[in-house]
Amino acid sequence: MSTQLEQLQGLLYRLITAVSGVAQGLAAERDLGATGLDALVLGDDRLSAEARVDIYANMYFYRILDALKEDFPATLAVLGADDFHNLVTGYLLEYPPTQPSISECGRHLADYLQRHPMRERAPFIADLAQLERASAEVFQGPDAAPLDPDALRSIAPADWPALKFKLNPSAQMLALDWQVSELLRAIEEHREWKPAEQGAVKVLVWRNNARVFYRDLEKVELDALEAISRGTTFSEICDLVAADASIEDPIATMNQMLARWLSDRLLTSVSSPC
Amino acid sequence: MKRSDFPMLGYGVGLRRQHYNHVLEARPKVDWFEVVSENFMVEGGRALEVLEGVRANYPIVMHGVSMSIGSTDPLNRDYLRQLRELARRFEPAWISDHLCWTGVGGRNLHDLLPLPYTEEAIGHVVARIGEVQDTLERPILIENVSSYMAFGDSTMTEWEFISTIANEADCGILLDINNIFVSAFNHRFDANDYVDAVPPERVVQYHLAGHSDHGTYLLDTHDHPVRDEVWALYERAARRFGAVSAIVEWDDNIPEFAELADTANRARDIFNEYSTGTTARPALPADHRS
Repeated sequence: MSTQLEQLQGLLYRLITAVSGVAQGLAAERDLGATGLDALVLGDDRLSAEARVDIYANMYFYRILDALKEDFPATLAVLGADDFHNLVTGYLLEYPPTQPSISECGRHLADYLQRHPMRERAPFIADLAQLERASAEVFQGPDAAPLDPDALRSIAPADWPALKFKLNPSAQMLALDWQVSELLRAIEEHREWKPAEQGAVKVLVWRNNARVFYRDLEKVELDALEAISRGTTFSEICDLVAADASIEDPIATMNQMLARWLSDRLLTSVSSPC
Repeated sequence: MKRSDFPMLGYGVGLRRQHYNHVLEARPKVDWFEVVSENFMVEGGRALEVLEGVRANYPIVMHGVSMSIGSTDPLNRDYLRQLRELARRFEPAWISDHLCWTGVGGRNLHDLLPLPYTEEAIGHVVARIGEVQDTLERPILIENVSSYMAFGDSTMTEWEFISTIANEADCGILLDINNIFVSAFNHRFDANDYVDAVPPERVVQYHLAGHSDHGTYLLDTHDHPVRDEVWALYERAARRFGAVSAIVEWDDNIPEFAELADTANRARDIFNEYSTGTTARPALPADHRS
């Protein structure tokens, strides 16, 4: 049996989150009784009971809207303030916040956009939101000490074929259908932006010190990084690179990729067979 | 628990992202920082690096916004475990959250909603504070919130409600002076009565902040300087409660750090004046309730 407190909180939650406002929410509360809200929430000559609940309804929506604007500045820039506002209105109905941190409110925005009519105007918008969300997740993803290049140099040549690298656990590889990296970069740098081109692309998002970076991956690097994620040995990764017909000099390519991963702090450890 | 169980940290500032670099690089002269717990309940990255750096140079206190101690939902055990881990790592002087509910039915409103001041609510909250304190292995502080609605079912004043809960749950009170002022205006009670009634031994910390005036109500926006009327209420509290750690909160239209530090120093100066008994200040104006 629910308590008075439970009933009160349930009612206030429904009113505060009612999509068309507290008044419409009240109209839907058929069990509220003749005295309605006024018996529960005290109104006065300055503010009615409904107006008082409405203060909370406004704070609920605008606090989350502001948080999402901060986390999705490029999505906001593409859609414009009015459409973003409308987007969030619908989004909160489908994905009401459930987590203690307000930074988790945007976790499902890209999924929601995949099915949203706004994609007709900006078909790349879900992928753009996905990249922005991934950047936020990488920013606060798990820490791991980067692999020390000197430690790598000290490994005996005979041990290299069996080496297994580990990627930084905060890094993400996104499979996108629209090439949104340049669009996001242009908006971040306050440059004029153009709509993203359609085309499948894998985007690497990673953190180097406290900054988040992202770049589209060439096929050879994608294959190599995915192989590392699967726990493949260094010799097998070299075989993968060598098998890529587009690569003229596999050894030089492997060296360049390894140097870049170290510089980007993308590798965190290496394990040898023994 | 009593106030002397906690250290007197002095006069500090709520740590905000805009000031991270300044605090780490310039090491400004403030006594301590209060951090919003949820901002640091993350797996890794910049926030935790910053907190390591700040903690190396200052005492900190962890102040949460999502414990939802008054909700009828079960306590969020994962949240409490994360909070405990964060506290073990950073060793705050204490942990606080709000006397409110922030969601129900598994949903979070990300707002601080008031409770009806009833025996039912007291029993509910006291039991949950006990569980929280057991999990966190320490007493916590509960903060009075600014409120915009009051309930027909309430059978007591807000100060009776928070005092009873603090006494029965054996926890401390984080007395937000601005919140008292805002709620006093919004519900037409005398803010002085609130300050005069709270048990002094329970008051471990103050919050000072600004609010915005919407004509028919005051909103706790933390986007303005502390108003003179709030300073007057703080003076009254300083006289009644003695040495209590205080911080300045500012969450929107955040000024340069120096203004926050100046505000913290003003709180220190006011307390010092009253602790020596050298200055007589007028009481809060009688018409502050509008």
